[in-house]
Amino acid sequence: MNPLMSLDTVWLLLPEIVLVATATLVFVGGAFINSRVGFHLVALASVLVAAGLLFRQEVVLGMFEPGAVHGHSGPILIDYFGHALRWLALLTGGLFLLLSSRAGPDDLATEVTGSLLLAVAGLMLVCISGDIVLLFAGLELISIPTYILLYLGRDNAASQEATTKYFFLSILSSALLLYGFSFLYGISGTTELAAVRQAVVDVNIASRSGLAALAPLAMVLMLAGLGFRIAAVPFHFYAPDVYQGTTNGNAGLLAVVPKIAGIVALIRLIVAAMPGVESVAWQLVLAVAVLTMTLGNVTALWQQNIRRMMAYSSIAHAGYMFIGLAVALAVAARGGDSPAADGVAAALFYLVVYVLATTGVFAVLVYLSSRARQIDGVDDLAGIGQTHPLTAICLAIFMFSLTGLPPLAGFWGKLSLFLGALAVDVQPPSTGLRPWFVSLAVIGALNAAISAGYYLRVVGVMYFRSPVNVPRAEGGRGAWLTAAVAAVLVVAVGLVSEPVFSTARRASSSLHNPAVLEMEANSALPRSDDRTVPPALTQAIPAEPAPR
Amino acid sequence: MNDSLILLATLLVPLLGAGVICALAPAGRGTVRWVAALTSVVALVGAAVLAMRFPGGMEVFAPASWRAALSEGGLDVRLSLGLDGLSIWLFALSALLTLTSVLVSWEAIRERPAAFYALLLILETGLMGVFAARDLILFYIFFEFTLIPLFFLIGIWGSEERRYAAVKFFIFTLAGSLLTFLGLLALVLWNQQAAGGELVFSIPELTAGLARVQQADPNLVLQSWIFLALFAGFAIKVPLFPLHTWLPLAHVQAPTAGSVMLAGVLLKIGTYGFLRFSMPMLPHATMTWMPPLLWLSVAGIIYGALVALAQTDIKRLIAYSSVSHLGFCMLGLFAVNRLGVQGGTLQMINHGLSTGGLFACVGIIYERYHTRQINELGGLARGMPILAFFMLVFTLASIGLPGLNGFVGEFLLLLGMFQRGWNVGSPWETQFLVIAVLAVFGVVLGAWYMLWLIERTFFGPPHQPAHDELHEVHDLTAREIAALTPLAVLIVWIGVQPHVFLEPMAPVLDNLVEVVQRADLGPSQGMASTEDGATPGATAGLPSSAVVSTEVASITNPDSQAGPWSSGASPSRSSAIPLPAGADRSSNEPPLQGQAKRPAWMIRPPQEGNAALLDKPAVAPNLVTSYRLQSSPAASTEASGNIVPTPPSGGSLVKTGGRL
Repeated sequence: MNPLMSLDTVWLLLPEIVLVATATLVFVGGAFINSRVGFHLVALASVLVAAGLLFRQEVVLGMFEPGAVHGHSGPILIDYFGHALRWLALLTGGLFLLLSSRAGPDDLATEVTGSLLLAVAGLMLVCISGDIVLLFAGLELISIPTYILLYLGRDNAASQEATTKYFFLSILSSALLLYGFSFLYGISGTTELAAVRQAVVDVNIASRSGLAALAPLAMVLMLAGLGFRIAAVPFHFYAPDVYQGTTNGNAGLLAVVPKIAGIVALIRLIVAAMPGVESVAWQLVLAVAVLTMTLGNVTALWQQNIRRMMAYSSIAHAGYMFIGLAVALAVAARGGDSPAADGVAAALFYLVVYVLATTGVFAVLVYLSSRARQIDGVDDLAGIGQTHPLTAICLAIFMFSLTGLPPLAGFWGKLSLFLGALAVDVQPPSTGLRPWFVSLAVIGALNAAISAGYYLRVVGVMYFRSPVNVPRAEGGRGAWLTAAVAAVLVVAVGLVSEPVFSTARRASSSLHNPAVLEMEANSALPRSDDRTVPPALTQAIPAEPAPR
Repeated sequence: MNDSLILLATLLVPLLGAGVICALAPAGRGTVRWVAALTSVVALVGAAVLAMRFPGGMEVFAPASWRAALSEGGLDVRLSLGLDGLSIWLFALSALLTLTSVLVSWEAIRERPAAFYALLLILETGLMGVFAARDLILFYIFFEFTLIPLFFLIGIWGSEERRYAAVKFFIFTLAGSLLTFLGLLALVLWNQQAAGGELVFSIPELTAGLARVQQADPNLVLQSWIFLALFAGFAIKVPLFPLHTWLPLAHVQAPTAGSVMLAGVLLKIGTYGFLRFSMPMLPHATMTWMPPLLWLSVAGIIYGALVALAQTDIKRLIAYSSVSHLGFCMLGLFAVNRLGVQGGTLQMINHGLSTGGLFACVGIIYERYHTRQINELGGLARGMPILAFFMLVFTLASIGLPGLNGFVGEFLLLLGMFQRGWNVGSPWETQFLVIAVLAVFGVVLGAWYMLWLIERTFFGPPHQPAHDELHEVHDLTAREIAALTPLAVLIVWIGVQPHVFLEPMAPVLDNLVEVVQRADLGPSQGMASTEDGATPGATAGLPSSAVVSTEVASITNPDSQAGPWSSGASPSRSSAIPLPAGADRSSNEPPLQGQAKRPAWMIRPPQEGNAALLDKPAVAPNLVTSYRLQSSPAASTEASGNIVPTPPSGGSLVKTGGRL
């Protein structure tokens, strides 16, 4: 018997619980005590406490040892993948808390802080959920506080429009996702991902019913639902308008947190839990990747508003991450390939790199803004290379990293993605996938060159133009600190990328480790004893309760 | 002292200097520029010591290696450094031109001097790193990294159109080098796919590995694709003819120091890339793509020269002359014979010295007259005889006056090109002759526009810009003389003693040429001469002779065997490439039947002198030797016994019954 099975679910969720409890405290307390700084410090402390608890958990679980034990406790997965991404979520949360030390009107500051904490808790939940209901709950726990944050952003028509637009489209995407989930449930008769995987395998083997044909449909619907959160073409339309309409801090949050959640959920749902659909999925993801990065990069070239530009940049980077997912799916479809073609690891590494640089960019923008005048246009940055030299260096580092220039972190991200794409179908027997993925890598490389156009424009404006209308830089020390931390991390990951990369590889292999899957399948057995024959649709569908 | 330590220190000193400069920024221009000058002198001394201690031969000199970056989890990227004959002079050239750049910017840079010098020194590290990197990824990191300091140097301190020039330069070169990056990754993956095992990123190991792989299966289609991917980046850097449009803009808009570094060193990264990656790793594709590349090179030569003739701006004229001269370098390299490659490689150094010097002179003129228009200047020699002297030396070197370096390089590479065209066997191959003739025409054009430039600006009636009439113009200061003298000295030195510079490069280049020519076995262009039955082993694919050359090299250089920095025990650090067994050197003699195969109009009776020399390429390298005989007999005897072991393969390709 797996000793982990006996671990208390509450203990496993303790970091998230701490965050949610603190959020509640902040919400309630903020109604009585008006102390922006006090509650902000409490929130930061709670992130640190959560980090400590997470660390303690991993020591107890032996996560740091090679060949760590994996398993799950109820709907919560205990694997390296989930834990590594929880750290990323906590880091992101901490950075955004720091960044928004002066966000929102004074009397509503606690709402901002509390909502941020809830979103982080939701993100962490997504990372470890091994059950589609919990996964959906996590995703909603990200979305709902985001609506509040968007609403709190600014008191003007553009902001209202952005909030409403995001709200409706987010609901729509949730509906699409749920629709996909319902098919998944119909196929497998369970909500647990490990059992879903087993069931999909069974369905494929048996292929007695038409159930197998439903798997691609479920996959497409889930891709659509999550594609919205990742801002992948063709679900990207909201992003430029929403980013432009809201504040710099909120735009940063939208560019980062839903993207992590979406990528993680995609990996958990489609790459790991749906064997058999890969042969369809890789083609779809490849097409989406090409469209997303090309459209994002090309459109960004014309943008004058920096948030709009960063929105297209965020779309483009979603496309790069899809390269990794396409590689992972294709490798699964052809049943293994050279170890260099580790698409999941590449996508995760790229995700980290992207999150650091993008958070940094928005932190700089927040720092340079003031209540009276927000940084909006690229031209607002003119000459800050002379007036704010350190901030400008940070922003230049982020821009170069997003372009993918060595020796910064972004270079290693592109390296791992391109290497992965070129390594597909290298090992015999050839399955004819190679031309597709070589073309994908070439398109990716050309896109990186295109992206240099708009990233360099920002650097050029900062350094090559004389300062006019110098920004007041009243975003607070927190924002400056966030930018500095992010810049240091981008450089550090660039110089010593090995720890991050080996973490990503371990996370990826924990996802694919057959031992884990077997263990997961075994532990799921008690609930699915008689599921060698897939349950009939007629039984499954009424049994499904509406999660919302 | 350990060579590896010197190499490491030479690379790190500029970075350290840049750090000190940033720290001293408040102290002002006076302090900062002295720190920069001191730093670049120290780096130059380091590079000079390395060049003096360089033993020649095939062995990697001053190797140093650490595990780095992604080394766990299957990607063994290493921080591995080292020099060889190919890179040692370019490495030293980077250090030398940085000093020149610092000295010519002494007065010109008034705005944000600390940032300027810091970026210049960072650029120096980047450029030296490109030439010292022994790891593919490390090479690419330096290759790409050089863009960042240059982007700022052009964009902040350039002239009117600097922002456009900086962005165009950056995006143009980035677009190409990203494709190059894919090509490099494809090389690594190909090696792994065929040879199995880990991904190998070490350049020497990869070269050797790919040679083995290609013996078993040349996979011409894949080679061609990878070659084109590498070509994208390298050709833009060079720049080859249709891809040169970034160059005039960037060179003209850059500050003097930026122009010197761009023209002097940065362009050479492209040709170096061809020499380091495309040619040894993809020999079959090199031979396949040779004719179009030669045509592009010669198009660049003629086009660059003609456009230079039409310029009214001195800096623009010199920029277009770079397009023309780099065409010569490429022509030499892709003649793919000993003379051509040696000439092309030497011409890379020559162009760095002469064009670097010319840009420095233009900067000096601009500082005094605030104009670069040719028609606003005249008779400068009267007021500034010393500047006129240096300008004349650089100009004459650039047009290839015998006795100066440009002559040696151009002569060797044109000779190589004629060799390529001489043993003509088919109408298809007469194109090489046409190319060679056109290239000679380019030399004439080069002399025309350069002499025309110097005639109009330095001689003739004195003529100065109107607004500077009252301004007393002084001749060169001691600082400016110090900046230009080393370049002029080297120009004369290479001109009279080219063997000093050619010999360290010769073994590596000869090996390279041999590898590429071996690849051109079989019925190329339908004129195979299968009579040469001495090389059946070429198809058997057994590595044999590389071991020998490695051992010879290690005897001459026992020091470099095990430095404390070479922590990784790599099985072969030599860049020697295994050659097919049986394809021994004797088979490299020119096929006698070559004569008979020529069209009737080409056949000439063997005569004394040049015609015979070209007819029988075996004699041609003696030209180099005869240079030696004139200057230092001792060196030549040593050289003829040791350094030039290969009988020349010349323009004659080895024709065997090999398959393709």
